Formats: sequence, C-alpha cells, structure tokens
Amino acid sequence: MDFNLSDEQRMLVDGAQRYIRERYSLDAKRAAAKTEEGFSREHWEKFAELGWLAMGIPEDCGGMGGSPVDIALLMEQLGAGLVAEPVLDTAILAGTLLAQASGSQRAIDLLGDIAAGEKIVVLAHMERAGRSEYDTPVSARAKRSGEGWQLSGIKHRVWHGASADCLLITVRLGETNEIGVLAVDRNAPGVDLTVYEMLDGTHAADIRFDAVELDSSALILRGPAVDDALAVAFDHTVLAMTSSAIGSMDAVMAMTGEYLKTRVQYGQPLAKFQALQHRMSEMFVETDQARSIVYRALAALESGDAQERATAVSSAKSLVARACRFVTGHGIQLHGAIGTTEEYAVGHHYRAMLMYDYRFGDATYHLERSAGLLPRIA
Amino acid sequence: MNLKYGKEDEAFREEVRAFLRDKLPHDVARRTKTGMHPPNEDDRRWWNRVLFEKGWSAPLWPKEYGGPGWTHLQAHIFEYECRMAGAPELRWQGLRLIGPVLYTFGTPEQKARYLPAILKGDEMWAQGFSEPGAGSDLASLKTSAVLDGDHYVINGQKLWTTEGHYSEQGFFLVRTDNTGKSQRGISMIVFPMDTPGVTVRQIPMINGEGSTCEVFLDNVRVPRENLIGAVNAGWDQAKFLLSNERTSSAEIYKAFSDLARIRHIAEHELKNGRPIIQDPVFARKLAELEIDVNALEWSVLRVLCEAPSNYPIAANASVLKVRGSELQQRLTELAVEALGQRSLRMYRRDEAYAPPAVNPLWPDYTPGVATDLLYLRACTIFGGAKEVQKNIIAKLAFGL
Repeated sequence: MDFNLSDEQRMLVDGAQRYIRERYSLDAKRAAAKTEEGFSREHWEKFAELGWLAMGIPEDCGGMGGSPVDIALLMEQLGAGLVAEPVLDTAILAGTLLAQASGSQRAIDLLGDIAAGEKIVVLAHMERAGRSEYDTPVSARAKRSGEGWQLSGIKHRVWHGASADCLLITVRLGETNEIGVLAVDRNAPGVDLTVYEMLDGTHAADIRFDAVELDSSALILRGPAVDDALAVAFDHTVLAMTSSAIGSMDAVMAMTGEYLKTRVQYGQPLAKFQALQHRMSEMFVETDQARSIVYRALAALESGDAQERATAVSSAKSLVARACRFVTGHGIQLHGAIGTTEEYAVGHHYRAMLMYDYRFGDATYHLERSAGLLPRIA
Repeated sequence: MNLKYGKEDEAFREEVRAFLRDKLPHDVARRTKTGMHPPNEDDRRWWNRVLFEKGWSAPLWPKEYGGPGWTHLQAHIFEYECRMAGAPELRWQGLRLIGPVLYTFGTPEQKARYLPAILKGDEMWAQGFSEPGAGSDLASLKTSAVLDGDHYVINGQKLWTTEGHYSEQGFFLVRTDNTGKSQRGISMIVFPMDTPGVTVRQIPMINGEGSTCEVFLDNVRVPRENLIGAVNAGWDQAKFLLSNERTSSAEIYKAFSDLARIRHIAEHELKNGRPIIQDPVFARKLAELEIDVNALEWSVLRVLCEAPSNYPIAANASVLKVRGSELQQRLTELAVEALGQRSLRMYRRDEAYAPPAVNPLWPDYTPGVATDLLYLRACTIFGGAKEVQKNIIAKLAFGL
C-alpha cells in the first residue's frame, strides 16, 4: 500500500489549493452567493479550463477519465474553499449518470458539453414523498406521443435547477411503468420553475412539467439499468461530497487553531487553556478517522463489487456526517460569538455540513444501509 | 417529600389555559412557533401589553413593583403554558435582567422612571456588556466612563447587543476606575439608545438574520444620576443579574415546545411510506431526548423549590445552563432531522411570517426549523460560554 500522491495528483492538489487561496476568498464567494444564480460563471469557466469538470468524465466522451481518488483529492480542496459552483451536481452526479447511458448519443454529447464547461446539467429526481435521492419514489410520468414522449409531473429540490441548460428527469414510462431517464431542455415549453435559496446559498427549484413534448432521443436510459445507474451515480456523488466534507473539517481545524493562538481571554491566549486543547485534539481524532473511512470507501469502489461499494460508501457517509457535525459545531464554539456571524467562514462550513448531512441520505439512512437493513431501492 | 403539584396549582394551570384560549390569537401563535429570531417584535410588544393589563407581565417581580405575587412554581406553570400555547416570549433584557437590578439597587427616582415602562412593554432594553476582547471574560472590558461635571462621558464599543436596533433603553457596564483589581473598577449605567454618540449596527448571523448588534459609543454624555447604585459596584450587580439569567437559561419551556414540534413534523413526514415517528431509529432518538428534557425539568423544579443540595446553588444554575443549552442544540438538530432535506431551504422572516400558502411541497411547519438550529449555535456561547460554566462548576462544586 502507498498513500503517497503521484506527481499528477500533487499538481492537481497544489493547483486547486492555489486557486482557492488566490481567487476564491470568502468575500468573493459571498458576493457570488448574492447573485441570481448563487455562484459565479467566471469561476465556472476557469474550472473548465483547469480540467476540473472533465476529471470524472470518460476519455472517449471528451473527459479526462480521472480515478475516484483523483476526484476525491480535487473535491477535498473545493470543500475547504466552500466552492459554490455546481461541480458536484453537474460534473460528478450528472456526469456519472450520463456515462452509464452508453447507448445514447444524446448522453455522449452532454458529457462532452459538461467536460468543456459549455452546459450545466443537473438531475431532477426528488419528489414530495421521498426523504432522499436514494429512496424517493418516482411518480413523474412520460407517455408515448408519436415517436417521442410527453412528460408530466413535479420534481422537488432540483439543485441549480434554474442555472441548468439540461435536466435529467427520472420518470415512469408509458404503459409498462418501468423507470426511465429523460434529458430535457430547461427552456422547453411546459417546464415551469419555482426558485428558492438553500442554507448554503445554493439556488434550487421545484419544477413542474406540464405535457412537455420530447423526441425519442430524449430517453437516455430505461429499465432495470436505471436503478443500477442511479445507485452508482449516487454512491460516487456521496463519496465526492464526503471528500469535500473532509476538506471542510481540515479548514475548520486550521482556522480554529489559528484563532485560539490570537484570541486573548483571562489574560492569556485561549490556546493555553487545556480544555480547549483537548477539544482541538478531539476534532483532530474525528477528522483523522473520517479521512481513513474515505480511503476505505475509495478502495471498495475499485473492487467493482456493487454490494461492497454500497456498504463502504454508506459507512463513510454515516461516520463522516457525525464527525463533521462535531468538528464544525465545535469550530463555532471555540471561536465564541464571532463564529456565529455571517462574516466568518466557520459558520459557512457548518452550513455546508448540514447540506452534506441531508443530501443523498442522512447519517441514519446510511447507517441502516451500511448495516444491510434496507431493501434495495434506487 | 411530596413530589406532586397541589390542587391550587392545578386550578392555577386551568386559569392560565383559559386566559390563553381567550386572548392569544392563532396567527400570533403561528408566527411565534416558526422559531424565527428575533421573534416578531410587534406581536411581542402587543402581548406584553395584554399580560400587563392582566397583571401578569412580570411573573417573578415582587408585588410592590408590579409582580403578580406568584410562587416560583406558579411562575413555572405560567411560563410552560404560555410557551406550549405559542405565546410570544417577552424580552428578557428588561423583565428578567435589568428590572430586578433596578428594584434591588436603584434609587426611588430610577424605579419610578423605568419599572412601569418595562412592565407595560413600552420600553425595550438592550444589554451592553460584552466587547471585542471581553466576551465571557467581562472583567477585561475597556469602555470608559469619565466624570465631567454632572455627566459621565462614555467611549468604547459593545458587542452582541441582542435587538439593539429597536430597543429604546440600554444598560451598560463601563470602566470607571483603572487602578486596582479589574473587577472593582466597573459600574453599571443606563441611557436611551438614541443618545447622541450612540451608533448601533446589526451584525448578519449564520441564521441569515441580524438579531444582534454592535454598539459604538463616541463621547456619549450621560447624567451621573443614571449610574445604578454605587460607583464601581457594577461587578456585583452584573453577577446578580447573570445569576438571574442562568436560572432561566435551562430554556425548559422551549425544550417542551420543541419536543411537540418534532412530534408534529415526524407524524407528517414519511419515510419508506410511513410517518417517520414510526421509524425505530428516529423514535429512539426522540425518546432519548424526552428523557433528558424530563430530567432537566426536575432539575429546574429542584432549584425553584429550593431543594437541599450539598453544593452551592450557583453550581446547580450552571448545570442548567450547560445541559439546557446542549439540549436546545440537540432538539433543533432532531427537528431538522425529522424534516430532512426540506429543512435546507433558507427562509427569511417576511416569508416565514406571511400567512401560509397551501403548498404540499413546503408544509406550514417547514419555515424556521433550520433557522432555529443555526441561531442556537450561539446558545452554548452567550450568557457565559459552556466552557466557562464548566469552570464555575469545577470551582464552586469541587474547589478546583
């Protein structure tokens, strides 16, 4: 075993760190969060130039074919920087899903567009009755309409929905009721969005599809393959998000440690108080264990076994959700009141932790899934 | 020992319930229950007035200053029923913090000037204790008050002044002596927030609102008769005030209303097609919290009923603060968990207070759940950080 980075990986990490340090200050992020999209198109174009959006996309579809480890290393840096752009939703989630629709020319085209930063593509999957992406029952319907399809239904909490050029929608198909995935132009007639802001500044949307007419090429995946493709896409996304949470925890520890050295109370720096030293040590232990379980999940992903992958990814999510809650919560606590303000990054990491915890299944869900207690529903 | 409420207590509970049924409108209760911070200010002032007219606005004040003459247990019943019914919480700063200081240490003129307006809710009070560099360590505060003829001239900066932007009056700790032990050179002084030289600026917080403020004091001239009690006696007054705060800081009434809210959400949110309250893992977490809240309530009751203790009462008060604040955070975390991913939406006050549109995607119990969680990251920090409370316990209980 060797945990050292390759030269290419070292360059990737250094480049991402430099970008975050020099160009992605909290002030810039906050300014971007106040715009209509909640992120910056300028950064998005830069990310494409740097190859970050192509990282997880297969080489024969215009991507770089990076490994899950490469993606984890990149996401860790983006998490430390609280990156607001839809890297996770487009490059990882939509990218992984599209990469499994190998028979569809439309999917291949979209993958190329994502890799080049030319299109934002997001998944519209959640519905009212579902608690998470893994267990939402799909009731949106597409019925036959000539050679194509006519789509109706409501999708809930579509992250970056209004910014997307293309939506990937899970549906029930025609008479057979089998599940399918449709690629829909966001501006197509009959697509109606209600946009709102989420806790981390992301803009999401509830989307109503009212008899949207689609040609036959819109159907990129159908049948039992959809469940498998979604499970793979969700697991890869969870692991990328988990790596991002590790970066967030590291950033919180770094800023908290610095703060304790500068803040004077009772005539001495806070860093001199043993109770606070112990708290920092506890945060260190949690973060260290979190990183280890991510390595384990990355190893499981390479095994190619679906059950092993699911168990390992869910173990990582449940452990890291708990650890991240501890670390970001105590990050605020150790900063004192200043940590509860909008101006300081530590509270933004706490909000990012909440997003992490509740997207793609919460800690309880993944605990049960890792224990094999759940029926398998994509 | 008799561990039951008496018949007269139960009768009193019924009286309070009848009053709440009669006087508290549904829309006010609905806004209060959202959990937005700060609560709706108009509702709160209005409710303060309603309670004043009934003689109930200051449950713990002595009768001679306008209190209702209740026992501690009756006040407990009153607060519990009010919170469960969704009555707006009256602001602590006047009624629970500076009010008792004024009737304990103030001059007859100060009592006559300030107490009636606090009781009626006509004047809201802002607290100016913390400073940049002096949070829980109040003794290191630097804001200075220098005597110039009949006036003190005050210079400095205060921080974490909750709702300072619409308070009429403020009470401040200031340094009146730089020699000797730092605790001994502090005084308490009151003045209107619109006094020339006072600048109030809201601080945006992680819950998306600015309920707390920073206050800049630039050559603020305040008549010397606005000093409370003796010069350099502010430290003891502040300790008296904070000990009052720490008795209420268990937030036991909020804990009970939070449990009710969690139940309500969990009965309506589905997991695998069934209400999440039927999910064994969730049900176990809720049960654990209910047990902890019940234990905390009995700790409050023991303090209220002056149960004998082997330790100084202030150590027990710090326990209420430590455990109460931890429970507040755990309760809001479970409320968010019950609601799940839908809790991630950012709600602003206007949106949360607006009459609910019927929208099955965003039920009426959605707004404010995450706001409350984010706001309450502060509850283990304000009023003396949890770590400082632990130091107090170690010192008072064990002489460490």
